[in-house]
Amino acid sequence: MRATVAIMQRELLSMFCTPIGYVVIAGFLLILGVLVILTEGFEPGQPATLRNAFGLMPFILAFVVPAIAMRALSEEYRSGTIEGMMTAPISDAQLVLGKFLGSAAFYAVMLGTSLVYPILMQVYGSPDWGAVLSTYIGLLLIGLFFLSVSIFTSSFSSNQIIAWITASVVLASFAVGGFLLVRHVGGFWRQLIQRANVMGRFEESALGLFTTGSVVCFGALAGLFLFLTIKVVESRRWR
Amino acid sequence: MIEVRNLCKHYGARKAVDDISFTVNDGEIVGFLGPNGAGKTTTIRILTCYHPATSGSARVAGFDVLSQSIQVRRHVGYLPETVPLYPEMRVREFLRFRGKLRGLARGERETCIARVTERCWLGEVVDRPISQLSKGYRQRVGLADALLHNPRVLILDEPTVGLDPTQIRETRSLIRELTRDHTVILSSHILPEVEATCGRIVIINRGRVVASGTPQELRSRRGDGAVHAEVRAPVEEALQAVRELANGAKVTADAADGWTRLRVEATGDLREPIYRLSTQRGWTLRELRRDAGSLEDFFVRIVAEAQMQAPQ
Repeated sequence: MRATVAIMQRELLSMFCTPIGYVVIAGFLLILGVLVILTEGFEPGQPATLRNAFGLMPFILAFVVPAIAMRALSEEYRSGTIEGMMTAPISDAQLVLGKFLGSAAFYAVMLGTSLVYPILMQVYGSPDWGAVLSTYIGLLLIGLFFLSVSIFTSSFSSNQIIAWITASVVLASFAVGGFLLVRHVGGFWRQLIQRANVMGRFEESALGLFTTGSVVCFGALAGLFLFLTIKVVESRRWR
Repeated sequence: MIEVRNLCKHYGARKAVDDISFTVNDGEIVGFLGPNGAGKTTTIRILTCYHPATSGSARVAGFDVLSQSIQVRRHVGYLPETVPLYPEMRVREFLRFRGKLRGLARGERETCIARVTERCWLGEVVDRPISQLSKGYRQRVGLADALLHNPRVLILDEPTVGLDPTQIRETRSLIRELTRDHTVILSSHILPEVEATCGRIVIINRGRVVASGTPQELRSRRGDGAVHAEVRAPVEEALQAVRELANGAKVTADAADGWTRLRVEATGDLREPIYRLSTQRGWTLRELRRDAGSLEDFFVRIVAEAQMQAPQ
């Protein structure tokens, strides 16, 4: 437990001790700002909601989240620090979990910076704070899932850029794919896609609809990818 | 303390370690010697649980490296060949982090850090970022990390590579000091280093143990020492007299401005008989010395032999 927390702290610290953390947050805020202006969130006469801008957030996150987690394991493999980790008395699961929690903490901080928009909205109008809360919970959940996928791709390659691009492609197709596919299939597959459609799940929460189904869905998906990551890390020992 | 039995490690078709067995007793300091690519690092990585062996078994501090990997890792301090450091961290932060990974409680952690920073002469740099440190200091930080939890077994892979001569000397004396409380394995491809620090040497080549023993044992197995003498005497006479003394051993002589240089290739020590001979005959003796045969020759020869035996 202590080891997992130590890895998490180190991970979070290294995001802020190197430019990467600031670059990611700046990029995130820039894109979000453009989105808020384009969706006319602050035009007079519009409802006091950021639903349009925040509804598109997963598409930004598909590119931003992999940038947070791309270093997690790739950098360890590239610089050889993995040797120190793998020969310390910690399990591979503790390592992966620590990395995941560290990235998640950074993600939470990054998400926190976007609170400036609901606060501005409060200054100029009266937003529905219930909906804001449920949107943020949705963002947190979808983010955890995205992070687990990003850490998974980062366990394959010692090249951060490859890890980033692979994760972005996978996540972007997850985000867009659900909508496109669901129209073309029927029966069992349609049901399956509808249930696993992360964007659909997120939109529910953006509307203020918060269900156990989505918690289970995101939790299970994140757990699955973390489990696969642990297996990849273990298997790399054998090469 | 360390017991290795029939260890093999294959990378695809290539055998990096091919049936290695040896034991290291408590408090011993053993040097792994071998040319680059001999399988030293691979063996060490199996002992430190970085990767598993293809076959064979190894026990460290009484635990099996495969089935009791976590216990082994708790008892081992490991300095890899490329020291795994996080450049963005400060030395103290890094050691704290490593202490937490090893489950040291807060108070104990701070005492341990104080102990290793003193031992590895890290006092002045302890609050500097690792990225600013020189290679020598980084190596010491790695060593401090390996010593942090006061492990029973220390495994050091090429501990002095990249250091300057003063640092090499300091590191060697530090390693020698460590044997009081630790069992040490160190690897190197530099013979004088192993000779200077280790009580026992295991020579590895192409994944096999080709020789092992104390430096003295290995030297005596070499068997081609030589005695050099320089006397003022006629070449023929000196050669004949010394040949009689040497009793069949190879003697060569060459003359230069009245002096005769003799070289006797014998294992035994012929210095005293030669001295007596020269006083009896009234020759002036101006040099008399014996080459005990360096370990270096032995190492080069044994590696060359193994190379020839190996099917190409």
